[in-house]
Amino acid sequence: MPRSRRFFSAPANRRELLLPYLLVAPALAVLLALSLYPLIYSVTISLQQETASGVVWTLGHFKRLATDNFFRTAMVHTFIYAAVALAFEFLFGLILALLLNQQIRGRSLFRAGLLVPMMLPPVVVGIVWRLLLNPDFGAINGTLKWLGVNTEHLTWTASPRLALLSVIAVDVWQWTPFVFLVLLAGLQAIPQEPYEAALIDGSSRWQTFRHVTLPLLKPAILIVLLLRTMDLLRVFDQIFILTEGGPAFATEMISLYIYRAAFRFFDFGYAAAMSFVLLALTNIISVIYIKLLKE
Amino acid sequence: MIRTTTLIFAALFLVLLVAASSCTKRGSNTRLTIAAIEGVEGEALKQAAVDYEKFTGVHIDVVQFPYANLFDKELLDLNSRTGAYDLLMMDDPWFPRFAESAFLTNLMPLLQKHGKDGPDPDFVAKSVAVCRHPYQTGSLYALPYVGNSQLFFYRKVLFAKYNLKPPATWDDVLAASKAIQEKEKAPDGGKMYGYVMRAAQGNAAVADFMPIFWAFGAEMFDAQGKPTVNSPEGIAALQFMVDLGKYTPPGYVSFNASEVSAHLLQGTAAMSINWPAWISAFGDPAKSKVIGKIEFTTLPSGRKPGQAEIGNWLIAIPRSSQNADLAISFLLWATNSEQMKRSAQRGNPPTRKSLFQDPELVKQFPAYPAQLRSLETSRPRPRTSHWNEIENTFGIFLSKANSGELSPADAMNQANAEIEKILQRAGQ
Repeated sequence: MPRSRRFFSAPANRRELLLPYLLVAPALAVLLALSLYPLIYSVTISLQQETASGVVWTLGHFKRLATDNFFRTAMVHTFIYAAVALAFEFLFGLILALLLNQQIRGRSLFRAGLLVPMMLPPVVVGIVWRLLLNPDFGAINGTLKWLGVNTEHLTWTASPRLALLSVIAVDVWQWTPFVFLVLLAGLQAIPQEPYEAALIDGSSRWQTFRHVTLPLLKPAILIVLLLRTMDLLRVFDQIFILTEGGPAFATEMISLYIYRAAFRFFDFGYAAAMSFVLLALTNIISVIYIKLLKE
Repeated sequence: MIRTTTLIFAALFLVLLVAASSCTKRGSNTRLTIAAIEGVEGEALKQAAVDYEKFTGVHIDVVQFPYANLFDKELLDLNSRTGAYDLLMMDDPWFPRFAESAFLTNLMPLLQKHGKDGPDPDFVAKSVAVCRHPYQTGSLYALPYVGNSQLFFYRKVLFAKYNLKPPATWDDVLAASKAIQEKEKAPDGGKMYGYVMRAAQGNAAVADFMPIFWAFGAEMFDAQGKPTVNSPEGIAALQFMVDLGKYTPPGYVSFNASEVSAHLLQGTAAMSINWPAWISAFGDPAKSKVIGKIEFTTLPSGRKPGQAEIGNWLIAIPRSSQNADLAISFLLWATNSEQMKRSAQRGNPPTRKSLFQDPELVKQFPAYPAQLRSLETSRPRPRTSHWNEIENTFGIFLSKANSGELSPADAMNQANAEIEKILQRAGQ
């Protein structure tokens, strides 16, 4: 047996026993330094405040959250954004998956085309839509004007009333394909037998969908909802590019507010405290999804 | 075998360690590192650095960042005292934050070493004042490099055409906006707007509002430092901004400098406040439909004489720099008359009076006399180390009033309460 082989399969003495640990140690150290240390540090700073008499341990940052109107508004925006976008993405994704699960002409072309938005980086999506939605020079208002619509007050992301809807629409445009993709995979994994049984029992199309397709699709549905919820709650890049939280705070999301607190106002403690609240909420929602998935 | 492996790992580790330490330890006498802004301001400094190397052999790395990142990069570096940068280019509203935390080198002792008893008297007084902490009276921590201050842009031809008074007061501006919007059409036959302003929350809205706010006699803080934006003058100023908004293209609550300039350049709006950096675009046939039709002047007055916001780019030496002597030599060289003239030729407004009056430069930049008048009468944004947060908050409420979500009085009352909260937290 070659020496090296024996060395890995049957350690001869204690020094050889130690070697695997030694080899893993640098990677482990880097991992700990890059993940555990910042985590502990962020917990620490969220519980500390600078005062005239030095740094003190306090719940001050968390207390401030209760009276911070901007924080509350940003949270409300984030949840409206997540709920509305998720509902539409799921609805459209499911319809598309059901349609393209059938034998229709040009099916593979549709499937490939639908995936394009998802492949684009959010920053690119932000810039593309920023140009499309520009009230004066954008393609959308240009087309509407050409069709004879008065677009003077259709200012999309520049209007406090339409801005949140506009950014939701962009998210739906980009992420419906992802929901579609996962649900399609789920649909294709369902065996034919239950459908044949339903057919023999004489169930209608709706009954088949309600009692066969949906229950069997549940794992895929829950996974896609879980992933999208987590992503929606921490949305940052495309909104930062599209509106920067404006106009008049109409699209300020919690992630943008955290970013501002940390990198504009240099209040890292407060930013960390807000991040933990967001983390806690995301975790609670995830746990609910996972519970549902196990049922 | 094992011993060899261990040895190899130990050697690798050592190499890494040495490499890492050589990255952080510097202090040689032939290299400087500067953090600078991207765009024309930083580019001029980069050119100066190249010239300086030819002249002295000192190599200068100019590290450029976009505006959105420069502030946090600099503050992080100053906070951690890495000494990575020997010179910092900064926008003047950031200066109080840096100076108050004692991050910057007092330049006076260094100037004395060079046989100078203060900054060159040729610098515009308002530009030197923002380099001192406290404002105007304190020690000198920076030198002014780019002398921006706001200007008022207007379509002089249209004023003549409709026999309107030049915009000397804000009431003139409102009257002219109304008249032009009613009578004039845009070059493409579309709607023409009397005025265009930016009211995107944050810096944009505040920058376009401050000259109105000051002209109406309002003040952000009283003598005790308490916020007073909801004074009757402050509310009247915001009401005026909202009224002027009726003659501004819809969607202006999301406008920034580029949208404002686009409207002026396309000839779809007649007046605005803007920064000198945009002047050159108005003479460029590729960008401008209004060549020769725009006049640049100082800000309109109200109850008080018109005052522009100053927005100078300053250069300072961090206290953590290990090359302060070398850095001051470069700083004095880059801000001397000859070098600043080169920077001006590249498109940066100077901070020296003599250059604003230099015949060659005035020929190239006909707005220089107006720019000098604007700069000499300009006002800094309130000097507080919490300006970023205050400006952000104030801007949100200005934006809300302009979008119609809040009345001017409600917006100012709420802004005042939020600014007070920021100051209370800071005073903890």
